[in-house]
Amino acid sequence: MAGEPETTRAHDPKHPTQGARGMVRFLGLVVLGALIGGLAALAAVGFVSAVLWLNDVLLISPRGRMMFAHPEALAIATVLVPTLGGLVVGQLHRAIRERRPHTPADVIAAVQTRRGRLPARAGVLSALSGLVSLGAGASVGQYGPLVHLGASLGSVGAKLLRLGRSDDNVAIACGVAAAIATAFHAPLAGIVFAHEVVLRHYALRAFAPVAAAAIVGHVIATNVLSSGALFHVTDTAVPRPWEFAAFIVIGGLGALVAGAYMHAILAVGRWAGRLPVVPSLRPALAGAALGLVALWVPDILGMGQETLRFATIEGAFGSLELIIVMVLKLAATALCIGMGFGGGVFSPALVIGTLFGALCGTLIGDAGLAGDTFVFYAVCGMVAVTAPVIGAPLTSLLIVFELTGSYVLTTAALASVTLASPIAAQLFGRSLFDIQLARRGLDLSAGRGRALLQSARLKHLLSQDCVTLNPHDSVDDAVTALGNGGHGEAYLVDDKGRYRSSVTLADLEVMRGRGQGQRQVRDCPRTPRPVLGPEASVWDAMHQLQDVTGEAIAVVDDKAGDAFLGVVYEASIARAYLQYSEELRREEHGTG
Amino acid sequence: MARVDHIMRRACTGALLGLTILLAHSAHGDEATGEPLTVLSWGGAYERAQQRALFDPFTEATGIPVEVQQYDGGIVELRQAVAEGDVAWDLIDMTRSQAKAACAENLLAPLSPELLAPAPDGTPAARDFIAGALNRCSITHSVFATVVAYRRDAFPGRRPTEIADLFDQERFPGPRALQRTPAVNLEWALLSYGVPREEIYRLLSTRRGLSLAFKRIDSLENLHWWEAGDAPVRLLAEGEVVMASGYNGRFFDAMINRDLPIEILWDGQVQEHETWALPRGAAHPDAAREFIRFATSSERQAALARLIPYGPSRRSATLQVTTHPDSGVDMRLHIPTHPLNAERAITKDDDWYARSHTRINDYFRDALLDERGNSDSP
Repeated sequence: MAGEPETTRAHDPKHPTQGARGMVRFLGLVVLGALIGGLAALAAVGFVSAVLWLNDVLLISPRGRMMFAHPEALAIATVLVPTLGGLVVGQLHRAIRERRPHTPADVIAAVQTRRGRLPARAGVLSALSGLVSLGAGASVGQYGPLVHLGASLGSVGAKLLRLGRSDDNVAIACGVAAAIATAFHAPLAGIVFAHEVVLRHYALRAFAPVAAAAIVGHVIATNVLSSGALFHVTDTAVPRPWEFAAFIVIGGLGALVAGAYMHAILAVGRWAGRLPVVPSLRPALAGAALGLVALWVPDILGMGQETLRFATIEGAFGSLELIIVMVLKLAATALCIGMGFGGGVFSPALVIGTLFGALCGTLIGDAGLAGDTFVFYAVCGMVAVTAPVIGAPLTSLLIVFELTGSYVLTTAALASVTLASPIAAQLFGRSLFDIQLARRGLDLSAGRGRALLQSARLKHLLSQDCVTLNPHDSVDDAVTALGNGGHGEAYLVDDKGRYRSSVTLADLEVMRGRGQGQRQVRDCPRTPRPVLGPEASVWDAMHQLQDVTGEAIAVVDDKAGDAFLGVVYEASIARAYLQYSEELRREEHGTG
Repeated sequence: MARVDHIMRRACTGALLGLTILLAHSAHGDEATGEPLTVLSWGGAYERAQQRALFDPFTEATGIPVEVQQYDGGIVELRQAVAEGDVAWDLIDMTRSQAKAACAENLLAPLSPELLAPAPDGTPAARDFIAGALNRCSITHSVFATVVAYRRDAFPGRRPTEIADLFDQERFPGPRALQRTPAVNLEWALLSYGVPREEIYRLLSTRRGLSLAFKRIDSLENLHWWEAGDAPVRLLAEGEVVMASGYNGRFFDAMINRDLPIEILWDGQVQEHETWALPRGAAHPDAAREFIRFATSSERQAALARLIPYGPSRRSATLQVTTHPDSGVDMRLHIPTHPLNAERAITKDDDWYARSHTRINDYFRDALLDERGNSDSP
């Protein structure tokens, strides 16, 4: 730690990344990763403990409920606690600019578009909203808020040290990896999740800091969180060869369950938007509905860790019960998240998936086919549903491996995920996050390069260094003005500042050659040229360039009555394109 | 607010205690004239060990005679005695879970940790006692375990190695004996499904978990329910059952002192704290506090653990445990807190039991006892 200030000074993005200075800089980034990992892990530990405590105190956890002696008061609390929690969450969201909690989708968007710089205020408020939602028993997950919290800590750290965007991205990934490593006791899964879901590349430069963060998180978790591993599976039988075929089929069916789950969440979100209720009161409404159903089926309250455990025990549920609890849990989660509770989608997906797997296992067991392999079916179902939802097949496999330590179980999960992820990606999209982002206008399906160019705005390329003419100017004056300006094109802007069209020096010379020098420029023949809006992206500009021969494209604001804002030179578009590509290349293929 | 309250209460009891110790010393002569200290304890080998390690030396040191009465646990009698204002005992040896329940019902007088003696090396008592030993109304003196013991000759060629074997009457045939309480039985039943021990109480808090546990217990054929602590050893000795739950100290006594062919299955042992507690309205609270200070000293705890294998609640005492004074058996191997024995131990969640025992008892009775008609307990 002694060399820390030195290394942080070395983080200036303009420094070379090769040689001794590059090495020191890189090591500094690793140290920073470890620091962020420590912070994120402590935050995760605090968050998880606070949720458990709230669940006990607010009579959400089975333990808290069993230790409470008055059944009538318990019933009232079951309805009242999620309702009031929803009220609080609704008010919290009013303080966030987007009026909704930030989620891992926002982290992915920030990293993929190299925007970085996650806002601290929204980070804190989203974590609080997740805490209240989970504490009050909403059917949401804890890993989403933890991932976002870790990412925000990383980004704030990078901002404080004035690091560049690439390093900001790495710092975000460090926070994410540490949060997952801590919450799941699974450092490998943390590292892979950060790469697979957030960074979406495997540059060595990012790997080392992320690994450092995950290790620190893991060490903290094993020392501070004594309990907490998601599930332990004791000695497992070995499935028979044909059962692997069943696991693959479960994977395919699980993808459909995952699709139903994701679309239910999105559909409730759309439906909630049309409800004649103030947005800040919607979570309370969802909480009341959840509480009422929980009076009948308490399994749907909260994260559902007990339900998850029972689903891995043969005979704990009947087939019909499995279907009822699975459908209700899916509906409850869609309701809570769609109506605006803060929280993740992963833990409920684990529960739904495990119930689904248990259902498959029970049916196969009832048919007299399976032996002692019930837990395999439960785990396969779990992976088949969760991997498509978070878009992370490798992470899901590693979570199974690190939590169970069972290689046979991981192989079975692999069989299941083989079909689940591609089928879901084909039918629905890479993950719920990607679907949400696509609906917000950020399409990551064609990769990061395109998303980056699509989100890069043209504004900073805008130039006023161009010749503008009044349509009433004479051709002779126009030629003179162009000659003085040293340009080959001029833009006609009327008295009200509205863009009319553009003319080229060549056309003007042709008119003058015909002796029409005294005519007004607006009579000059013009070839229709496309224009760009002020919000156009570099990607749009590149596309326009294909159809344009000329030196620049006019930027016109349609909304302000075709106001002329300036031009963007083709050369600067090409330069920007190359620069963004180069930055991406450096970030994704840098070694240090 | 509650914290301030707690600190105030501590301060008050501390001051009171100082006063009472002063008074006790000045009144020493009066007590020596023969007003005995009445202790309610568990009888059997346990009481014999207490007599030798604690009661006799106490009388020798202070001149206060100790009179012992026996009970089988439970707070029903205490509740009744306090309600009637006629408390016959000065001191009760009770499990921590029952002490917490009794404390919550205001049946016990508060105990300050300041009355405890420091360790021989001067370590203050608060740091010398194991975690969870010092509570508002009770002070843990030892850790005992409920374990399963089996007859060595019952299963030729194999022996039970894990707690699930208790419920496996195919591989380990023969009648079983379990205590007629939900505690411990529920934990073992759920463990037999492969549930990790960290999750036992969370899962037992659901109707689903309870019904799984009841189903497992109900599947046992030829089950005897016992109540008195000496019953399991007797049932095993007479060959009435081949496996029985019971307190590890009793089984030790039967194995070492009576040479019975039984063996302890340490897997899944449920550890519990055994505490000293002072009933409200007792006749000699000062002498009782003096006794607690005496009996929880490192020396006395180690002396007791050499006679009966209960883990001392003081770290300094655990280090002093050696061999049994008569038989020369190394007692460290027989105490539940020994690392080899404690590998898969469960610590009984007394908070959970203290606050849910009436409901759990009702469920237990409805699910298992009523349909059997009568119990086989002696």
